[in-house]
Formats: sequence, C-alpha cells, structure tokens
Amino acid sequence: MGEVILTMKGIDKSFPGVHALDHVDLEVRKGEVLALMGENGAGKSTLMKVLTGIYKKDSGTITYEGKEVEFKNTREAQDAGVVIVHQELNMLGHLTVAQNLFIGREFKKGITIDDKKMNEEAKKLFEKLNVDIDPTEKMSNLTVGKQQMCEIAKAVSFDAKVIIFDEPSAALTEAEIEEMFKIIRDLKKKDIAMVYISHRMDEIKVITDRVTVMRDGTYVGTLITKDCTKEDIINMMVGRVIYEDPKTHSAVPADAPVVLKVENLNAGKMVQNVSFELHKGEILGFSGLMGAGRTETARALFGADPKESGDIYINGEKVTINSPEDAVKYGIGYLSEDRKRYGIVVQKTVAENTTMACLYNFMKGIFIDKKKEEKVAQDYVDALATKTPGVDQLVVNLSGGNQQKVVIAKWLARNCDILIFDEPTRGIDVGAKNEIYKLMNKLAAEGKSIIMISSEMTEILRMSDRIVIMCEGKKTGEIDIAEATQENIMNLATREIN
Amino acid sequence: MEKIKQNAFVKKAGFNRIILVGVMLLMYLAFGALTKGNFFGMSRILNIMNYVYFLGFLSLGVTFVIATGGIDFSIGPVMFCCALVSGYSFLTHGVPMAVALVLSVVIGLLFGIFNGYLVAYWKVPPFIVSMASMNIAKGIAAVFTKTQSVSWPQSSDPNGWYRNFVKMGNIPTGLIIFLVAAIICGIILNKTKAGRYILCLGSNKEAVRLSGVDVKKWEMLAYVICGILVGIAAIFFVGAYTTVQPGYGDQYNNEAIAGCVMGGTSMAGGLASIGGTVIGVLIISLLQQGILALGFSKDYQFIITGFIVIAAVYADVSARRRKN
Repeated sequence: MGEVILTMKGIDKSFPGVHALDHVDLEVRKGEVLALMGENGAGKSTLMKVLTGIYKKDSGTITYEGKEVEFKNTREAQDAGVVIVHQELNMLGHLTVAQNLFIGREFKKGITIDDKKMNEEAKKLFEKLNVDIDPTEKMSNLTVGKQQMCEIAKAVSFDAKVIIFDEPSAALTEAEIEEMFKIIRDLKKKDIAMVYISHRMDEIKVITDRVTVMRDGTYVGTLITKDCTKEDIINMMVGRVIYEDPKTHSAVPADAPVVLKVENLNAGKMVQNVSFELHKGEILGFSGLMGAGRTETARALFGADPKESGDIYINGEKVTINSPEDAVKYGIGYLSEDRKRYGIVVQKTVAENTTMACLYNFMKGIFIDKKKEEKVAQDYVDALATKTPGVDQLVVNLSGGNQQKVVIAKWLARNCDILIFDEPTRGIDVGAKNEIYKLMNKLAAEGKSIIMISSEMTEILRMSDRIVIMCEGKKTGEIDIAEATQENIMNLATREIN
Repeated sequence: MEKIKQNAFVKKAGFNRIILVGVMLLMYLAFGALTKGNFFGMSRILNIMNYVYFLGFLSLGVTFVIATGGIDFSIGPVMFCCALVSGYSFLTHGVPMAVALVLSVVIGLLFGIFNGYLVAYWKVPPFIVSMASMNIAKGIAAVFTKTQSVSWPQSSDPNGWYRNFVKMGNIPTGLIIFLVAAIICGIILNKTKAGRYILCLGSNKEAVRLSGVDVKKWEMLAYVICGILVGIAAIFFVGAYTTVQPGYGDQYNNEAIAGCVMGGTSMAGGLASIGGTVIGVLIISLLQQGILALGFSKDYQFIITGFIVIAAVYADVSARRRKN
C-alpha cells in the first residue's frame, strides 16, 4: 500500500446549533481509492468542504504531503493538487469541451484566446486518460457520462494528487460507470489518491480499497473493503443508540380504512412504479437516502410536478390529480421540506398564510372578512401553541418551528385529512422538534393520515407506524414498525451488491 | 413568550409616505419661489391636475402588475392606441361618442388580456411581452389612423361632453373620479380575494400555487385590471389635451412606473401601496409642470424621471438587502 499523502486529524466544525464535525480523522494514501460513507447528514460533504477550503475548520490539522496546510479556497486547494469532482456538473453547455476544461485559465495568443492550443492540450489530456472525446465538441452535445469524464479530466489537468468524487455515479448509466471506473483504475496506477463518496454498496465493493465510515459528524472507523461485508458497513453507519423512545408497535387499528392508495406512480427517473397505501390515523414514514425519490413521489402525488402514469384512490374512489388545486380539493396538504420557498409567503402575516388555501371560507360578498380571518388564525395559534406576538405578525419574523406550525395551520384550516410532511423538522431546533412530533401524533390520533418523509433515522423510528423505504426512485420495501430496525431499513435503502 | 421584533416594515412604509408628502410640498414651494409665485396660479394648478389624472390611471394600473412581480412597458403606447382608435372611429366612422369612450376601455382591456395571458399561461417574461405589445399598440394605432393625428371634439362641440369627466364648469370632476378610482383600487388590492392573491403571488408564487390556488388566473387578472385602467387613462388624456399623435406614448411608461415605485410599491412584487402611488403621481406631475414653468424643455424631464426610477428602485433593492 502506498504512503500516506493526506491526513486530517481531529477536525472540528460547528455551525449555529449544529456540531457538524466532531473531531473527525481521515487518512488517504497514494494510489488508493478510499470510500467515505455515512447516512445523510453524517458530515461527509462538510469534511470535504473543510479540506478544500470552502469551510474553515474550528480546530484540527490537515497534513498534505508532509506539511500542515490550510487552504483558503478551492482555488488554492486546486493549485496544491487537491481537487473535487462534484455531483452536479459545473459545465457550460454552449462552450466546447476544451473551452470548459480550461475555463479561467485559457491559453492566450496576445489578447485573443488560443483555441487551437486548448484543443491540442485537451486532446493530449484525453489520450493520457484513454478517453474518446472530441475537444471541439459542444459540451451540451455530450452525454452526462461523457460530461462527467470531462470533469474528471479537468481535475487531472490541475495536476491533481488527491481527487475527491462526490457521488459521481448518481446520474450515470451502468456502462458509463464502468467507463469511469476504468479511468479511476488508471489514475490509481499513476499513484493518485482518491476519495469516493457514494451510497452505492456495489460500487464501493468494486472500486475502493478501504472504507471510512462517518456517523452524525463523528469518525466511526475504517475497514479494508475486500475483507468486509455490506452488513459490516451498515452496522457502522447506523450503530447509534436511539435515545428518544422509538415506537414499538403501530398505533393504527388493523381495520383502519385505507384513505389513500397510490398505484404504480411514475414520474421520471426518480419515481418508478411506486405503490403504497395510507390508512386513517396512520403515520406512514418514507425512509431512504438522499436522492431516493421520496420528495419527487410526494410532489407527483400532490400534482406539483407532472406525472407520467399511476392511479390514485382517495377513500376507495379513483381521482385525477393534475395540479395542487386538485390535490387540495381532495383534502391533501403538502408541507414542503423547503418552507420558505414552497410553504409560506414570508412577507405576509400569520393570518394571511393561515387562510391561504381556504380564503373562500372567509368571504363576505367580494370582501375578505378580516375579523373572521383573524379569529380563526388566532384559534390555530392557540391550538398549535404557535409563538407569535399576534396573527398580524409577518411570518418572516417567526422561528423555523413556528413557521412550520403556520404551514400546518394552513392545511388544518383547509380541513385536509391527508397531510404530507416532507422533512417536518428540518432546520428546527430540538425543543420545537418535540413539539412538532407531539402535534403530529395528536393529529394522527384525531384521525388525520400522515405521510412523513424523513432522512433522520431516529425520526422515522420514533414517529412511523409503518415505513416505506425507497432507493433510487423505486420502492424497495415496506416494514411495520414492530419489525423495523436501523439495519433492515438501511439495508433496503442502499443498493444491493450485484 | 419569545420577543419578536414588531413589524417594522409596515411602519416604515407609513413613514416613507409622510416623507413623500413633505417632499411634494417642498417641491411645490420651491417651484413657486423659483417662478416668483407664478407657479401658484390657478391655471398652473389646472395643468398639473390634467397631468395627474391620466398619469394617475396609468400608475394605478401598473401598480397591480408590479405587485405580481411583473412589469408593463406598454401602458403609455396602449393608452395612445385606445385614444387614437376610438377617436378615429368617432371622427371618421361615425361611432357615437359614448360608444367611442367604451371602445377605448375595451381596447385597453384587450391589451390587458393579451399581456396577462402570455405572461401567466405561456410564461413569456413580462418585460418581453410588454415591449412587444408596446410596438403592437403603436403599429395598430398608426395603421388604423393612417398615421394621422386625431383631434377629439372641443368643449364647445355638442360631442364635447366627454370633457366634463375632467372638469365640469368649476367642479374638478377629474379629481373626484380619480380619487374614487384610487379608493376602489385600494379596496381591490387590500380587501378582496383578487388583491390578496395578487400580492401573495408577487411575494412567493410557488408557495401560493402549492396551496392549491389557481395562480395563473390571478396573475392574469392583474394585467387585465391594468388594461382597463389604461383605457380609462386614454379618456382623461384626450379630455385634457384633445389631440393625440400616433407613434408616441413611451415617455409615460417611465413616469407611471416612477410614480408607482416612488410610492413604495416594490419592483420585486408582493408589496404595493395605492396611497403611495397617488402621492408618487402627484410628485411626478409637479415635477413635469415645474420644469416647464422654469422654462426648460420636456427633455430635461425625461432625464430627471429616468434617474428617479433608478433611485426609487435602488432604494427598494437596498432596503431588501439590509433586511436579509
């Protein structure tokens, strides 16, 4: 095994309210591929951002090629040879491949750009990597796979010694992944060190040498890939103790009627043949890793995004939902993970937001009955214990938890019986989180049916009566809470080893 | 109970309006002093008011559009198109005066529907739509009138009764109608479902859509209201000046938008003040007449209103930036 090129030791980083990295260690060697794994929010990306200078660490040391370093920005990291290949491609479609590769450092001939030289250099680079791409081709004409190759080539062209791949395979086909692996193997031979972030177990097994696992911002351990199993890795990823009492059995009676039935819902790559049932008074958890297609499923169901096919039944009756208007008509309310963008109008008052979906109930002729509006809004403020000086307060001035309560009030005022909570506690502090949980349990007990999309394992195990697990746009399983464990959920949420 | 900052934004809007009224009075006094009292004469006041009426209707209209976060650069030329087509119909085709007046409003309405539909349903950017319909309006007017100016009948003419909308003897009917219209606009914007949804979608269209609201319909409605008001503005324009020439009208876009934005309506949408628009229009009109009274040509006014729009929008943008 090669010598160590990069060591991160005791890296600590806090954001307001979050201890994102808690004394994390990482070691990368020349000519190896190190997998970096962990659940959503484990701190993988944060760690890489600290390394490449996007974030400043609070404490800890980074040693690179035997010297302690602290990169101020990605440019500095690049110049030193530490390059990140992002999941989203940062390419300009209307420029040629060569122009993209050398953007910001174009070859010049006097004051004009020397395209000929750039094309030659790009060609040399691709030859070195054994990739067949025409440097004069327009970037937008390439497949996503080829574009990813260009990203890698660009990284190599910086004379990189350490390359970080942040979920590089997310958008690639099997064949493209295979091609990418060929390049990675080639780079290994050239003694380049690589960090490979991915959720896909099969890829980890195929391409990496060692696996470092993180959990909740801490370093868990490092394994030799060929000596470990998928179960070993999952156990390290989820092996936390759940402090908040998890639900042990479903609170829903066995004969509770089905209020919502979704059959073979399809909407693009992220929603493929998803089917499930929701019972009255049930909290149905939707678990899965980033990009599993849970939000996309909810949005397609709600009519926020177009769907290709699929049947939806409400209380046994087949319905057509083509827009949020339709969904709301059938009593479905959607609470987005991004409240500020999709949930509330922050520059409007608590009262105005509360009545947003049911303003027709507050009309007196052509005028809005503001007294009635304020009274009803106040009733919900009281019922949900929303902390606000008054219903005429602008929502922008409320805290995250209280903003969430305003969104809940909006759907309750509309009398929605099916509520889709998409990451209901994201960005909400611990105390307010518990309040939201209590509220959801109360709503379910009162007969509302809830779909809860959550990326937090503890939240899933604490709240759900039943859990649907998705992976890469497909439903991979359904578990009753009585049988649910972190391990079997994570097993379904990650791709099988082929 | 945690302490939350009291709604500073609304308070500030009120404060700004007080400042604006002060600015208006100071301007009036300054022009008066510079013209050695000439500016305080009755005829000058009538001139100012004539300008206020048509510009006011334009500005009220564009306030609804800007409240949705959109923009309309076609209002001036559309107003001219309304005045030219209906006036020409009256003069050449023997259309009765009453019908001609209704026609003017209908033409404005049609442009509003056209603009609104393209913006709301086809998602064509408002800037592009209104730039295009500005030229369409100019073109239609020129073709229809064979590029000739149209002179509406004078007060002495039996058909000159339409001028009573502006001034009936010594009664400033125009002022009364304009203020009533402004109050109605204020009620629509603040007390009806349409106004509520127009303001909300201007602030966050996606959140309103995901609340199950038909945002396209309400967004289009803002342009339709604007179109109707532009059609009415045309009546007040000819009521004051009688003669309209094809190919013009652009200069009033800037002035109407300046009046609206100066009054506290945010170009980013979601925040609009009818009261502010009325004061803004008064200031613009004062400025217009003041500059003429001082003996400068109208061109100076273009320069000044141009800078006013930039200053007002910059003030709005920087106020928002401070808040974030």
